[in-house]
Amino acid sequence: MTETITALLESWGVNKAAEQVSFLFDPVNIPFAIWETLYAPLCATLFAYLIGLPLGILLVTGEEGGIRPLPKSLMGLINTIINLLRSVPFLILMVLVFPLSRLILGTSIGTTATIIPLTVAAAPYVARLVEGSLREIDRGVVEAAQSMGCSTLQIVTKVMLPECKPSLISGATNATITILGYGAMAGSIGGGGLGSIALMRGHGRGQTVVMYVAVILLVILVQIIQSIGTRLCVKTDKRITHK
Amino acid sequence: MEPIIEIKSLSKTFGEGQNQVEALRDVSLGINPGEIFGIIGLSGAGKSTLVRCINLLEKPTQGAVLFHGRDLMGLKEKHLRLERRKISMIFQSFNLLEQRNCLDNICFPMELAGIPRKQAREKAMELLHTVGLPDKAKAYPVQLSGGQKQRIAIARALASDPEVLLCDEATSALDPKTTDSILKLLKTINRERGITIIIITHQMSVIEQICNRVAILDAGAVAEIGAVEDVFRNPQSRAGRRLVSPAMPLPVDESIPMARIAFNGNASSDPIIASLTLDLGVKVSIMGADTRNVDGKAFGTMLISLPEAEEKKTEILRYLNAFDGVTAEEV
Repeated sequence: MTETITALLESWGVNKAAEQVSFLFDPVNIPFAIWETLYAPLCATLFAYLIGLPLGILLVTGEEGGIRPLPKSLMGLINTIINLLRSVPFLILMVLVFPLSRLILGTSIGTTATIIPLTVAAAPYVARLVEGSLREIDRGVVEAAQSMGCSTLQIVTKVMLPECKPSLISGATNATITILGYGAMAGSIGGGGLGSIALMRGHGRGQTVVMYVAVILLVILVQIIQSIGTRLCVKTDKRITHK
Repeated sequence: MEPIIEIKSLSKTFGEGQNQVEALRDVSLGINPGEIFGIIGLSGAGKSTLVRCINLLEKPTQGAVLFHGRDLMGLKEKHLRLERRKISMIFQSFNLLEQRNCLDNICFPMELAGIPRKQAREKAMELLHTVGLPDKAKAYPVQLSGGQKQRIAIARALASDPEVLLCDEATSALDPKTTDSILKLLKTINRERGITIIIITHQMSVIEQICNRVAILDAGAVAEIGAVEDVFRNPQSRAGRRLVSPAMPLPVDESIPMARIAFNGNASSDPIIASLTLDLGVKVSIMGADTRNVDGKAFGTMLISLPEAEEKKTEILRYLNAFDGVTAEEV
């Protein structure tokens, strides 16, 4: 089959058709790239939630008029740090975070090393997403919980998070896809994955077919993640009666 | 009788400086155990703030709230949370947990109290029967009507075996028929469980229907307080008169004699004014009226002009007072 495709591509005037086809049909190259594409961003999403979820909760509960107000200066500091981290372009942030990667993982190149900058970039974004979701909760419901003698922690764990679950899931879908996009970018400076293939091999070495295939695969991955997220969100939301 | 809840010269101020708003001014009230106490006022009178001060959802600026003679404001956060379980609350917007089904909503306060799940579920089922919705255990709030949601909210409020039930405009979002059935349910709960009920409302029909005593709140202060019949028959304060006959300003021309007719819901659908003119041969004008028909019963008040002659006035008033559920007096 590879010969037929190569012949077809050559008949269309594609350069280095044989090399591209043999790369794409190699049993390792593409599957491994897909694995790399998913592995670093998914790990980073997980770590970003470990940091961003408590931070997002704090942003809602700690504000003035929240259920457990914190000092204004502290809230101001948290907000500033989040805004600062969010405003640095990801490529710059990655370079800035290299020393941290080296410190934690002993290296600043390779797919695993991209987990650190991805987490640093994603955590403040996740904090804002969580904040947005938790703000959707009706104040009256929180008030009802308080009237029943709920503690602050119980309001967070038994009221806010469960009531906002659908919105949190849709936020997490968003976060995963955004981080996947960042991960593809990270491919340009040492990370692996489909992004790296599209950029280095596809664009850099003029292997356009490889580039298109890598991009199409990325599109498919995003579609799959989005539809899983949407389905999960609808399934958990008890406010939707027609499913 | 020792009051179950006593509010002592309570004040609440929102904001600071120029934006300062005095929501409550020196409010003092005593609520007796087992009674249904109404707090009525126009919107902005401070009713909701007052009810939130009772369980300290709002912290009063000044004054004290005593529950069984104990000052709630002196309690530590943890102890306050325990006391709050004895003072349940229901709301205008129901405030059910939308991601939990009805049974789990009712279980919620028991979950907080650490009651074993199985035991909590059994009790929740009993409560579903109490509020007349045994088949809705697995239903989610979105699938219920407003009246059904309020019934679930009532069941949830009862789950912690409270001594007091605070109702914050609990029927304001419901149609008259549903309001009626919710009020009946509250009355049953009060009678059978001996739970003291405090009702905040702007609807005087609610007060008339189930309250024993009522306080009228006007601009953050108590304008008057007394037994419902007394306050409704003969309101002493301006705010009281305004609420009892909201459609009419006080007669500007004091020289015209007038009678105020109150329909308390027991009146039949007899055409009372028409009968009056036919039977007594007098002509009266309706100066103002605010009456509603709920399930074929008349509620509200009407203001009619009276003739000058004293004996005619007496005759008319006696005639009107002879109807069931109608009280008439000269104003």
